[in-house]
Amino acid sequence: MTTALHYSPLLPTLWLLPLFGAIALWAFGPQLRRNAGYVGSAVVLVSFACALALFGEATLPGNPVRVPLVSWGPGFDLGLSLDPLSLLWTLVITGVGGLIHIYSIGYMWSDRAIARFFAYLNFFVFSMLTLVLSDNLVGLLVGWGLVGLASYFLIGFWFYKPTAVAAARKAFVINVFGDIGIMFALFALFAQTHSIAFNDIFAKVATFSSGFVLLACIGLFIGCAAKSAQVPLHTWLPDAMEGPTPVSALIHAATMVTAGVYLIARFAPLWSTSPAAQELVGIVGALTMAVGAILAMGQWDIKRILAYSTMSQIGYMIMGVGVGAYQAGVLHFFTHAFFKAQLFLGAGLIIHALHDEQDVRKMGGLYQRMPFAFWAMLLGTLAIIGFPLFSGYYSKDAVIYGVLEHGHPVLYGMAVGAACITAYYMFRMIFIVFFGPYRGDVPDALLAIAPAATAAEPQEHVAHAPDWLMQAPVAVLMVPTVIAGYVSIGGANSPWYRYFGNLFGGADTAPVAAPLIPEFGSTALVLVLVALGIVAAYVRYGAPAAQAAAIDRLRRETLVMPARLRYLLWFDDAIALAIVRPSQALGGGISRFIDPHVIDAGVRDVAWVAGALGLAFRALQSGLVRAYALTIVIGAACFIAYFAYIGVPR
Amino acid sequence: MSVDIGDYVGLSAVMLCIGLAGVLLRRNPLIVLMSIELMFNAANLALVAFSREWVNNAGHIFVFLVVTVAAAEVAIGLAIVVSVFRRAQNVDVDEVASMRG
Repeated sequence: MTTALHYSPLLPTLWLLPLFGAIALWAFGPQLRRNAGYVGSAVVLVSFACALALFGEATLPGNPVRVPLVSWGPGFDLGLSLDPLSLLWTLVITGVGGLIHIYSIGYMWSDRAIARFFAYLNFFVFSMLTLVLSDNLVGLLVGWGLVGLASYFLIGFWFYKPTAVAAARKAFVINVFGDIGIMFALFALFAQTHSIAFNDIFAKVATFSSGFVLLACIGLFIGCAAKSAQVPLHTWLPDAMEGPTPVSALIHAATMVTAGVYLIARFAPLWSTSPAAQELVGIVGALTMAVGAILAMGQWDIKRILAYSTMSQIGYMIMGVGVGAYQAGVLHFFTHAFFKAQLFLGAGLIIHALHDEQDVRKMGGLYQRMPFAFWAMLLGTLAIIGFPLFSGYYSKDAVIYGVLEHGHPVLYGMAVGAACITAYYMFRMIFIVFFGPYRGDVPDALLAIAPAATAAEPQEHVAHAPDWLMQAPVAVLMVPTVIAGYVSIGGANSPWYRYFGNLFGGADTAPVAAPLIPEFGSTALVLVLVALGIVAAYVRYGAPAAQAAAIDRLRRETLVMPARLRYLLWFDDAIALAIVRPSQALGGGISRFIDPHVIDAGVRDVAWVAGALGLAFRALQSGLVRAYALTIVIGAACFIAYFAYIGVPR
Repeated sequence: MSVDIGDYVGLSAVMLCIGLAGVLLRRNPLIVLMSIELMFNAANLALVAFSREWVNNAGHIFVFLVVTVAAAEVAIGLAIVVSVFRRAQNVDVDEVASMRG
């Protein structure tokens, strides 16, 4: 770099504060007890303030804030860099993260391990900041692995629940599979450029062969797919809902699962040179979007409905950045972080009030009992389905139309269809949860719910947390849920597009093909389909007649659910058949054949030879001192005879 | 009559053979230790004789070392003999064969 180093001490401060917070909470947890929540939240909010203070400096065109950390050799410099893209992620991580920290104080109020919880949360924030602030691939990979670790800790937070432990392990294994993909891309890029820095890699993109670019992109995308729950590596995300609800909101909705979007946007200069890689990412994103939407229609667990909707929305983002509509995809990340956190925190309010009940069949009629949660969920729902004037309307529309503009009519059709399904399943949830009779006291058999084995929770139910702790963050989130999309009003001249400037190389604004339909026509089409989805949900679950027969209807639907929904489109079974069982068979074969007959046999043979030698020499060890003396004498005599015969050399 | 190097070495060889026979033939550990002392002194005599013959003081220095080591060896050897006697109530070196492989 020839330009002067643009340094700011605020950057390492905001990066390291959550780490210090995590260490302090871990060390002094027993002393702090519930105060740990306030300490953890304060740390993250201070980080947020630092990031805000850096807003002006980081957005100077082409001159990001940079902090070199360690240099391990030529081309191997580790450092931090804050440019508009990483600033956006930093603001969301610390801002939404800070709100979720505050919410967690109320949510985890009666959990005796609250300090451990906040230590993990702070550790996650630090890991995620490492991921987005690194100016090189190695730092990114370290952050990438650490967020997977933090996710593992937090999914398995209630470690006395066997399902939570299994879910944590599943998430970790699939995420590590993705890490390996990124690692190979890192090796390939380093071998080609002899540098790990993003800038050096991007400077040499023009010299790469197209096959090499595709290979590197596939490696990176395996990491994205695992982290961002893309088909077929998505199966960990619904299971990850075993963690506490604030964790689902922060890690498995707002920030960590969007790391794949960040990676593709960060590598835009690389991706833009490979149409094949863009095509691949676009197709996988579209498949994920469709699969997530279809599966969300058949879920009864409120958090799983939201998990599949998250998966579907990330599919939108990945498809957007994949086809080259970077600003649109990143905009959808931005708005999604708010409305999905809002939805999860709203669901958390309900789950908390119903004493950890997550089955929507046992809810109903909650509008009268919890109006605040209802409005929070309704705003989030309107945003996610892309209702006009809500934030999701702008971002989703930008993605959908961007896909068409970049010449992918089939993906466009899928995106439009998924928007319709999104409206259906979100309003299905709203109607089932908030309207009709309350079904919480209906016996399980009448709802056809199989009794679930629940582990006893060693919790001390003490005085209730003040209500504002959980309601204030949700209330604050309502504002961006509605207005976050307004930054993109005005097309190419909007604040959003000026914010990114030419960060993505201007590749975004140039349409590849003349679209079949004009933008307002596309918007109208999407709105009509969204309205159709709402009407379908209303007819099936919202109308007075449907509400009256709700219990019968839920029972019937539970019993005759199509197999493809009941078995989640057989993804788990396919993975089990294709990977898990062969691996187990391989492991079994190794443990039955190679282990005993090759490895153990080698060790046994060595031991046997040593034993045989010992037996052979045992006879010499007579224990008779005079025999030893005689041996020495004979030896000495041999020496003497030898030298007497050949003479002493001179 | 003058005593030359051959006489010293011959005496030394005789002493060594007597010591060797003692170690190999006697079964009383005290006698064995005494025989070992005899062999040390045979070696000392040879060292001193050669040292004088070649006018080289290194042999004298070696003798000092050997005497020192021999003293230590006797102290340890007698201690071992005493403790073995306490355990086994006999002093036959052939009976003390618990280290047999």
